[in-house]
Amino acid sequence: MSKSNEIDAKEKGETKFPIAESHDLPPRSKWLRDYYFKGLEREWNNQIMSFTTGTDWDIVFHEGDYYINPEIHYYIQILGKNDRGVFASSYRSMAIPVGLTDNFWELSLPERRITFLEKVMLDYIPQEIISENDLIAGGRFNTQLSRCFNKDEAKEYWKKNIRNREAVFKYHKSGFGNLGAIPGHIIPDYKTVVKKGFKYIYEKAKKTYDNLTNEEKNGSKGEELRAIMISTEIPKKLAKKYAEECRRLKDEATSPENVERLEQMAKNLERVPWEPAETFWQGIQAVWLTHMLVMAEESYSGPGLSFGRIDQYLWDLYKKDVIEQELFTQEFAKDILGSFWFHCNTVYDAMIKVGNQGIISGFGQIITLSGCGPNGEDLTNELTYTMLEVIDSWYPSLEPKPNVRIHRNSPDKLLNILVDMIARSQGAPFILNFDERSIAGMVKEGILKEEAWNYGVVGCLENTMQGNDRSGTVNCNLNLTKSIELTLWNGKNMPGNDIVTKLGEQIGPEMGNVEDFQTWEEFYNAWKEQVKFMIRYTVDVNNLCEELRGDFIRTPYLSSIVRGCIEQGLDITNGGPELRFVTVEGVGFATTVDSLLSIKKLVYEDKKYTMAQIKDSIMNDFKRNEVMQTYLMNKAPKYGNDEDDADEFSKMVMETWAEECWRYKTPTNFQYRPGMLSWNYWAGADAGLTIATPNGRNKGSFLSNAICPTNGVDIKGPTAVTNSVGKVLGGKTESGEYINCLPNGASHTITFNPSIIKDPEHKEKFKAYLRGYIENGGTALQINMLDAEMLKDAQKHPENYKNLLVRVTGYNAYFTTIGRELQEEIIARESHRI
Amino acid sequence: MAESKALIFQIQKMSTEDGPGIRTTVFFKQCPLNCIWCHNPESILKTKQLEWFKHKCIGCKICIETCPLGALSLDEDGMHIDRDKCDSCGLCSEECPSTALHMFGKLWDLEDLYYEIQKDKVYYTQSHGGITVSGGEPTLQLDFLLAFLKKCKENGISTALDTCGYASKNTYEKLLPFVDLILLDIKEINSEKHEKHTGVPNTLILENAIWISDYVKKYNKKLWIRTPIIPNYTATEENIKGIGDFIVNKLHNIPERWDLLSFNNLCTAKYERLDIEWSLKDFPLISSDEMDKFIEIAKKLGVKNVQWSGLTRKKQSHDGDSKKSKETKLPSC
Repeated sequence: MSKSNEIDAKEKGETKFPIAESHDLPPRSKWLRDYYFKGLEREWNNQIMSFTTGTDWDIVFHEGDYYINPEIHYYIQILGKNDRGVFASSYRSMAIPVGLTDNFWELSLPERRITFLEKVMLDYIPQEIISENDLIAGGRFNTQLSRCFNKDEAKEYWKKNIRNREAVFKYHKSGFGNLGAIPGHIIPDYKTVVKKGFKYIYEKAKKTYDNLTNEEKNGSKGEELRAIMISTEIPKKLAKKYAEECRRLKDEATSPENVERLEQMAKNLERVPWEPAETFWQGIQAVWLTHMLVMAEESYSGPGLSFGRIDQYLWDLYKKDVIEQELFTQEFAKDILGSFWFHCNTVYDAMIKVGNQGIISGFGQIITLSGCGPNGEDLTNELTYTMLEVIDSWYPSLEPKPNVRIHRNSPDKLLNILVDMIARSQGAPFILNFDERSIAGMVKEGILKEEAWNYGVVGCLENTMQGNDRSGTVNCNLNLTKSIELTLWNGKNMPGNDIVTKLGEQIGPEMGNVEDFQTWEEFYNAWKEQVKFMIRYTVDVNNLCEELRGDFIRTPYLSSIVRGCIEQGLDITNGGPELRFVTVEGVGFATTVDSLLSIKKLVYEDKKYTMAQIKDSIMNDFKRNEVMQTYLMNKAPKYGNDEDDADEFSKMVMETWAEECWRYKTPTNFQYRPGMLSWNYWAGADAGLTIATPNGRNKGSFLSNAICPTNGVDIKGPTAVTNSVGKVLGGKTESGEYINCLPNGASHTITFNPSIIKDPEHKEKFKAYLRGYIENGGTALQINMLDAEMLKDAQKHPENYKNLLVRVTGYNAYFTTIGRELQEEIIARESHRI
Repeated sequence: MAESKALIFQIQKMSTEDGPGIRTTVFFKQCPLNCIWCHNPESILKTKQLEWFKHKCIGCKICIETCPLGALSLDEDGMHIDRDKCDSCGLCSEECPSTALHMFGKLWDLEDLYYEIQKDKVYYTQSHGGITVSGGEPTLQLDFLLAFLKKCKENGISTALDTCGYASKNTYEKLLPFVDLILLDIKEINSEKHEKHTGVPNTLILENAIWISDYVKKYNKKLWIRTPIIPNYTATEENIKGIGDFIVNKLHNIPERWDLLSFNNLCTAKYERLDIEWSLKDFPLISSDEMDKFIEIAKKLGVKNVQWSGLTRKKQSHDGDSKKSKETKLPSC
């Protein structure tokens, strides 16, 4: 942003509200941050480069990676059924042909993929050190890479791809939601890379390979393991090239400081990530190079690819270098982290020239900080605090996104820092994950209690294990409110809502005409069957995507750093990881619950309205019956007010759909499980495709967000909402043990008026609220501190608020760029005023 | 035997302004005082009272059809509630689809009220908070109040009593064993002025203050004094000096703190919705400088912990400060 504009505005008295800005950056970090925000004015950027094998049939863009982004469906298919789409065509036409080895086409698919990756990373993408201020090597990584198909594979892939596309688009356009086999969203085993190096992984792969029978060696296991062995050496070779670049620059360097920096960087790169890291600097270097290669291989930069508990696995190095041996100062450590921060943010360069708001602002390279140990003890350390300081001084910036784990034994010092950070920002620069509730969820999915404490976070707030767990946390995003429509119209779309289906097509089961149901139980039973159908339908369509990915999209490099893949000789996409899940994220939970509560109370209990009247009003979007709409909105019980009847009912709804998910597996041997986050669907695509609902919501209006209550109905304040959220997840047993039916977690966003933390006395109260949340609340909380007046001013004078960062469900974006709809929504949201 | 039900007009959860920690404040209806500056006009009468929100009303007139006494009418000026006819039966607000009609006051029985407030027990424990009974004047529903406070204490929930001080000593003798913190209002030190502006002299209040203060010391409880700072009324140096002197010399500085609460006019709309003419509706807010000055006076007198909160008017731009926003410390209405 332009600093001068901002000062002008202040002088004119237009900036009414102070917006958080970056501060106290050490000089290197400051340079890098300023450089990053120059955007297109930079001479260097990390725009996507695409590479092809040069065949006529080559595929460089796998559209299935983007199925859950309905805003780009248009670019996937504009013309007829067989259209290659804008993205695929343009990446293909701009792709650089890569010189292939002579035996390339004789190799298996995974071996082709990995030799292609190696060639591109070593010989085609230049190794650049960004600046004198950069302490970490690893520049460009945004790619679209050939999928390396031979002609037959390409034909088969395309046939199945068209089939999938048709199925997924129909699913989406009918309002069921969004799904696809999505990359990213995993914590690779960076810890092993730091502690033991790729050398160890190579040896493990080699040993496993050597132990195969000849038959196995000639089969798919052999292919996969050979590809994995090749992949473990790519980081070493790439680091060597970067080291050469450092030495070349060193020869040109004039200042002694610079010479010393480049020499040390070269030395670091000659060691890691092949050997174990010996210093904190090497640790960060190893993590970054390993991480960027995953993004390059998957051709999917950012979303959900996460670092895990980085303040734990780098702690011994930090302790040794910074605290014990004083090898370098805390300030220098912050500069090392600053370089890391800079590189994480360069994921957004992917489409820097076209502009890509909306798609990119949801990225989430998560770092997990703090949290408990195996016996509930606190593991916060000095590195945790240093990282929090870096986060605070870089704020606002988008990556990496911190999730701070708190629990009963979290120290006051940590909470003080967190509350101060919240007070200084508009949207808390982190999400809080709550250990006790989260761990209960991990245990629910079968992870031993002795291991579950060591969970990490991916994407936004999704709890997963580290280094061995692909949880497919956003693969399926099911619009639960669709179940209301199917119930009311006996398994069909509402007449007039047949966008892609044939008029009157039977979609869900026929459970009878609701007008004929005599009791609530009949209605509820019909609803349950529709939900079961929806989950089955979701599984059926998603399985197509998982199968296609398992067969055709291989990522041996990522597989090498996810435990289980080597042992099984299977790719990560094909059932390799030790822990294998696909999550069905429920969207529109409160809208669904409140709609059911309306019908239960006003149709079956009070007999205020008949089913026919409700259906008629929904069909005309309440245009002819405003009184009924108002009544439905105000006079039926709602989830979110800590009222037993409504919350117990909500819990029953939760259990019904959640338990159903556990019944299914993918053909690639991943277990389906329930979760609850809504990304931006609740305010965007899904909302637009949802008819009016019996809670009085108009057609096309926002749905409820994740596990939050319907906007504006939670009238009893933050403690009441918190209690409701904890209750629907399962509450506690009589002996006080936590229950959590959503292992993945549930996204809870809460907005406070800034007066809640206006002085030290109130900050103490807020800390106590957070400790109360640990006891009674959910798994993950996003806190916003927003003043409605400030937001209105920001709409009027966006130029004064370029730095205003708001976060919704960990979906974080600059307020002025999120589009009018979501802006209005955030403003309209009931602030919990005190 | 305890009174079976109490008339309560609001239960506010996560209250952070009515004592230490996170609290649930229960507002009891009816007050023996009639302060000219009252911020909670809905609290004064013993009976339920109806209010109407213009922005919520959809004009369906169901309320008018429902009212058995014909007390409601709607025209372009809005809803007219004939307060003489209305007997606060509440049928209209029950039927109102939009909640535009709202009834202040609901009868609660003890078990239900206790069940409602214990839901936040975890937050009280974490914050050293609890419940605050306020109003109105909660001591007017003595039997119920006593039973309620007892029940809270029996179950380990800390209690605070927000009182105007205008009750018999006997009342406080009964209640205080079950109260951890007393929030006592001393509004005006001059008894004549007190009577003029609140309807009653302050003699009883000051007597009670002394008795409560002794009690607090003896039984290791806590006492906070609160004074509303109202321009032209209580906002005088004389009054602050008088009350400060009283706290130091008569209460022997036993009160843990003295809160000066600056006047706010956010309740103007509430008066209008209740069809009550409010003489202070156009009153200006006090400035933060004046509030700071009062704090200085109090400190000089030797009051150990005095602070102010509340709305103040925006700063004059005498220092060239072009700050436009209202200087807001605490909206408390």
